[in-house]
Amino acid sequence: MYAASNISFHAREKRILQEVSIALQPRTFTAVVGPNGAGKSSLLKAMAYEQQRFQGEVMINGRNVKSFRPKELSRVRAVLPQSTTMQFAFTVNQIVLMGRHAHLTTKRENDSIVEEVLHLTDIAHLKERNYLTLSGGEKQRVQLARVLTQVWEETVYPRYILLDEPTSSLDIAQQQNIFSLAKVVCERNIGVMAIIHDLNQAVQFADHIHFMRDGKIVAAGEAQSVFTKTNIEETFCCSVNIYHDPCNNCPYIIPERSLKQNPGLLSKVVTNA
Amino acid sequence: MNIAISLRDYRQVVIITGLSFCLLVVTLYSLTVGAVFIPVTDVAVILLQKLGLFTSVEVDNMHVVVLNSIRIPRIVMTMLIGAALGISGAALQGLFRNPLVEPSLIGVSGGSAAAVVVLIVFGSSLALPDSGLLRDSVLSLVAFGGGLLATLLVLGMSKQGGRTNISVLVLIGVAINAMSWAIIGLAIFYADENQLRAFTFWTLGDLGGASWDKLSIAAPVLVLSSVLLLFYARSLNALALGEAEAYHLGVDTERTKRIVILLSALAVGISVSLAGMISFVGLVVPHVIRVLFFPDNRLVLPASILCGALLLIIGDLIARTMVSPAELPIGVVTALIGAPFFIGLLLKAKQKNEL
Repeated sequence: MYAASNISFHAREKRILQEVSIALQPRTFTAVVGPNGAGKSSLLKAMAYEQQRFQGEVMINGRNVKSFRPKELSRVRAVLPQSTTMQFAFTVNQIVLMGRHAHLTTKRENDSIVEEVLHLTDIAHLKERNYLTLSGGEKQRVQLARVLTQVWEETVYPRYILLDEPTSSLDIAQQQNIFSLAKVVCERNIGVMAIIHDLNQAVQFADHIHFMRDGKIVAAGEAQSVFTKTNIEETFCCSVNIYHDPCNNCPYIIPERSLKQNPGLLSKVVTNA
Repeated sequence: MNIAISLRDYRQVVIITGLSFCLLVVTLYSLTVGAVFIPVTDVAVILLQKLGLFTSVEVDNMHVVVLNSIRIPRIVMTMLIGAALGISGAALQGLFRNPLVEPSLIGVSGGSAAAVVVLIVFGSSLALPDSGLLRDSVLSLVAFGGGLLATLLVLGMSKQGGRTNISVLVLIGVAINAMSWAIIGLAIFYADENQLRAFTFWTLGDLGGASWDKLSIAAPVLVLSSVLLLFYARSLNALALGEAEAYHLGVDTERTKRIVILLSALAVGISVSLAGMISFVGLVVPHVIRVLFFPDNRLVLPASILCGALLLIIGDLIARTMVSPAELPIGVVTALIGAPFFIGLLLKAKQKNEL
């Protein structure tokens, strides 16, 4: 289990996180949703122990994150950022292989892991390509492959992947692609946590959803049971209607037009014009 | 798959071997050239005699003296400085994830030069002798101290909540450099003719002052700092993804930053103390390697050592022969050959979309 308990974090006078607790289970996809500035990324950074100045405790597989050395930490958790910019013309293969940086496996084992992951993420044909010349979607799949490579080999302990809005600049097919892959790899005794902006994707892929607002978790639980009109409207301050997919009964939302909510808006626009 | 991987390793071995061979040839050639021409066979015999071989072969005694006390120390110093500048440039570019970085950025060259210039101009009032070993060693020590002080200032001021903020560091480096140049300008203002001449040598580089005495302390430090930097190749590769990403991959980023910066400051500070400021080697050499071959630091770092040494020896050869018996400042030569070559590479890389 990857458990954060009572995480609080202040930046100057502003409280970014207030007593946030969240637990990730292996073989489970956990989504964190919430408006901009809710503290989702801060929570992820604290859990990854990239941000080290928080109150509270983060335990990975029963061991305090503070007692891990960076190398040890990298063998149990990997992080995929929103996007990665590079200055130097590394090849796809070199970048994916970097996932094995802290591992003690042999070159042959590393190569076969990379090969497997390149095929899974469908970028084997890009292997010798210069990363700088790839499209946004291809770049993000390379980074996902690097992250998967880091926690790929089966171990006695569960591993975890943290995804920070991994699809924010991708088209819809690439988005589905990235989340489907993240969902599938849960089967390798991996726990996944993803910050997701698209609520319909969150409920489609996640087993658990945590709603965050103003540095607190306001609702959390099994995905379909917490995906309610009240939770969503209270978290995002936006009226929505919930419908159900006639094929698989998966819920989805359509936000209401905000003009109806805020009749004053139209009059402001018109008078100013 | 395995073929592609081993091909890459194979390429690495070929490149390193090729560069080493070029370095050997250029070094041997460079040893033959000077006021007295020494045939390459004599050079080879004299070098091998040092290893206890061919001791029965007779060589001109004057050749032995010229090589031993003038040319060999000079070429060893040139080689070590070129290597140190090359690898510190490569390591710092990797660390800052910025191909435009060069060692002067962390303040080390400016700090060294400022300290030296102040000593040259105001040294007479401190009872510093005009020449001799004492003066040389004091100047070297001061150059190194000034460089280290500037680097520590830059490093210390760019700390933010226990971490080194790279963009703050770059800006503070710019400010510290500006301050160093202001100090240099102020010293020039008070300098007399002779001091101005000495100062020119320091800011444009001068490899003429090589001696075994100077090398006895400097050489081990240069070799050690360059070799230690080689161990950071894989961490620097991971840092190419970004600082947070490298940390996620298991790199102790704070430690890596501190050690790479300090080792580079050591290498560059010692170089400046031996031969003044030699521009462009640290900037150009790693670029050449990346554009001609590939950007994996496991190649770039060792190849920068060889290529830096190669470039500086060729530069020194030109500086010694172009206007002989006088000498051009080495910094002028490295910039004159480095800059057009660099521009050519950049244009080529721009076309191939590799920047």
